[in-house]
Amino acid sequence: MASKLFHFCVLLCFLARLHASLSASEEVALLQSVPDLENAMYIVVDGFPCVRLLNLSGEIGCSNPGRDKVVAPIVRLKNADKLSQLSAILVSLNEFDSFLARVSNDSNFARRIGGVLVESESEIKNGLKGFSPDQKFPQAEFSPYRSINYQWNPIGSGRMWKNYNFPIFLLSESSTSILKEAAIKNEDHQNVYTANVAEFDLVMQTTKARTLDSESCLKGETCLPLGGYSVWSALPPIQDLSSESSKRIILATASMDSASFFRDKSLGADSPISGLISLLAAVDALSHAEGSHSLDKQLVFAIFTGEAWGYLGSRRFLLELDQHSDAVNGLNNSLIDTIVEIGSVGKGFSQGIKRLFAHTTRASTATNETLNALQLAQDSFQSSGIEVLSANASNPGIPPSSLMAFLKKNPEASGVVLEDFDTVFTNQFYHSHLDANINSSAIVAAASLVARTLYILASEKKHFTTAALNAINVNSSLVEELVGCLLTCEPGLSCGLVKHYILPSTACPNHYVGVLLGEPSSTPYLGYIGDVPRFLWNFLAEKTSIPADSAGSACPNNCTNTGQLCIRPETDGKGVCVVSTTRYVPAYSTRLKYESESWKVLAPNSSDSIGMVDPVWTESNWDVIRLRLYTKQDSSYDWIVLLAGFSVTVLAYLAIVITRALINKALKMD
Amino acid sequence: MTVAAGIGYALLALGPSLSLFIAVISKKPFLILTVLSSTLVWLMSLIAISAVWRAFLPLKTTAWWPYGILILSSVVFQEGLRILFWRVYKRLEDVLDAFADRVSKPRLFLTDKMQIALAGGLGHGVAHAVFFCLSLLTPAFGPATYYVEKCSQIPFFLVSAVIALGFVTIHTFTMVIAFNGYAEKNIVDQLFAPIVHLVAGMLTLINLASGGCIVGIPLLYFMAALTLMHCGKMVQRRLTQNQSRQ
Repeated sequence: MASKLFHFCVLLCFLARLHASLSASEEVALLQSVPDLENAMYIVVDGFPCVRLLNLSGEIGCSNPGRDKVVAPIVRLKNADKLSQLSAILVSLNEFDSFLARVSNDSNFARRIGGVLVESESEIKNGLKGFSPDQKFPQAEFSPYRSINYQWNPIGSGRMWKNYNFPIFLLSESSTSILKEAAIKNEDHQNVYTANVAEFDLVMQTTKARTLDSESCLKGETCLPLGGYSVWSALPPIQDLSSESSKRIILATASMDSASFFRDKSLGADSPISGLISLLAAVDALSHAEGSHSLDKQLVFAIFTGEAWGYLGSRRFLLELDQHSDAVNGLNNSLIDTIVEIGSVGKGFSQGIKRLFAHTTRASTATNETLNALQLAQDSFQSSGIEVLSANASNPGIPPSSLMAFLKKNPEASGVVLEDFDTVFTNQFYHSHLDANINSSAIVAAASLVARTLYILASEKKHFTTAALNAINVNSSLVEELVGCLLTCEPGLSCGLVKHYILPSTACPNHYVGVLLGEPSSTPYLGYIGDVPRFLWNFLAEKTSIPADSAGSACPNNCTNTGQLCIRPETDGKGVCVVSTTRYVPAYSTRLKYESESWKVLAPNSSDSIGMVDPVWTESNWDVIRLRLYTKQDSSYDWIVLLAGFSVTVLAYLAIVITRALINKALKMD
Repeated sequence: MTVAAGIGYALLALGPSLSLFIAVISKKPFLILTVLSSTLVWLMSLIAISAVWRAFLPLKTTAWWPYGILILSSVVFQEGLRILFWRVYKRLEDVLDAFADRVSKPRLFLTDKMQIALAGGLGHGVAHAVFFCLSLLTPAFGPATYYVEKCSQIPFFLVSAVIALGFVTIHTFTMVIAFNGYAEKNIVDQLFAPIVHLVAGMLTLINLASGGCIVGIPLLYFMAALTLMHCGKMVQRRLTQNQSRQ
């Protein structure tokens, strides 16, 4: 009995050891099911596409040439001189520009291109000094002055405004190495029958439906107009909306959208998000300033979207002001004294000095007042190394900015654009996917300057004390947090600050304007608004608010009094009622009108001079955008296999029949 | 690899079985039933084996001997089941013979008994091919192909189809040899089936080595050829014996 137990224990121990050794953690790639096998066969590649955009005269951007996926073997650019078949070209970022130039010039070469994959390397490796696919004078057609040959962006190649009839994808860093390996394996030619191919799925509905410009595609509902929602807020909240108050308005603006060759990688760190962050930090500083709720002039902060695509936000804002619509209730266009716009301010830090340039409209009392206010504010920062200078007088006028739309509407308007450059952009990566690095101390400096300048401008006849002015300080940790939230993927939009206000849908921020979903209205459905505008609305509403009578009631049920808003409605049960004037304003081309569930293009109207040159940008609808990599066999090999299968079957049949005949013969032989 | 290649691989693995089915099995309903029940028995044996081995799977090891133990235990179990299959068949044979006597029809011929054994073996073979090859073949109908690192000259699906064909042959004809061995009480024939099955199973372990499939597959086909020859010789011997007896 004891020995049996002993033997049983030995067996158990053996089994246990066996189990342990069998699950030894030597990493072996295991395929445990057919879906695992499929995932090993088809590798989905991480990539950022360039999509099809249309305007009134045609198309730009990239798309699959038809309704099918494009499958082409991967070839590196240096081996692409003698292409015998449709290929997927792997290009490094340094060669990208010259490659696109070659495609435009050489149609034989262009015919053999199935698709393009652009490598992504860390900054140290690619050593690229500058890259800008935008034009040398971005949005020159909207400039209020005639010298449209002036080069604000001399490094610009203009490639993003051309039409390509093949798909182009930007690879992430991890997928770059995977594709390089695949291309090298193709070159080694170990197996003549197989090739590593890339499958591009960038089928655009406008290509399928053959609606090749904005008007026809909007009519055919195969595209949607570019646009979104701008946000404006008033500090202090405009209490009495019905009676027309006669308080003069100081309008401080920034923009929240950027553009790039690749739709999903439009970060725009310097242009324009550095300006946006400065404005947000300035609002925060001003909200804590003494007497901010009893200033002589009304401060209004407006953050426009769609500025990179024809100043959609600012133009629509001006139109709504003219129409006295609900979205701009409480504002009167004629009361706007001056406009202070914060442009790119993230690269103004050099040799310890944070230098900004003030580009002004025509000289007038208002612009002089603003320049004086800027000087006063600069002087109040005695030893902080902040400097603001007037822009060079030989500049033809203001740089590309929302102020151009204001000037086109009203040539007498006065305003100042604050930028970190004087005669040409300091940003060497304007409107490219590489515009990702800025200096946060430059932003803090710009924000501090703007906060104090606005305080001075809004306090008439120096009704402020130096002490009160010097107490206005920007919270630099807020700036750092905003940089982390709006310009990085970690923490990105899932940072604490953003999550305090909204429920973000993604973590990686992207500042492409997107398309306008649904009907444009002043109280839009929140699901149609992007993460960044919703965050800005809630942030500004909280900062410019004064506590409500029904203070801190949970929303959205109890905020029924006029002038009250429910902020943070998406955070479960933490919505709060406050008194604030913060609104969404739709941003879309003034040449478009939404009527009976679809978009119509309006005829050019001479009273809307900027609308007459508006290209009216739209983005094609698309179903799925995907890039896959797999190994493909020559079709001749497939037919050989089929033939082999058939012949094996037929030969076996013959053999069986013969054997059966032999056996029958043997049996009958008697 | 497209539909053409997918069909090609399926035909490679199961084409000969299909031919055998059409030429021999489909003529007699009883044989069809035998094929189906033997397929079922084989699949049930796989379920039983996997239930036991569940605790140890997946085998996260690069050494070959755990796989060896897995194959050994599976083969032993299935051979045991073969003996059980034979016992059931024997009882069925007696029932059929008694029935034939009652309705004054002839008893089972030798060729009938061999055909039943063939049908049984075919059932085992088809089950093996379906389970180990056909079930993996769905991705082969798509545009991509797949090469395993350790066998980079031949596509994975081709290797799997070719191995499945080898095993179909082995399973089909070892059943004929085994039934004959049990009937004649011939030790050589009785041991032939388990030994060939085990050796063939172990030979697949060669594929674990890098480039091993170039060696392993021909060896497997050598075993299949051996089986075919032995079966042929045995059938010839039995038939001539039978003739001389009559």
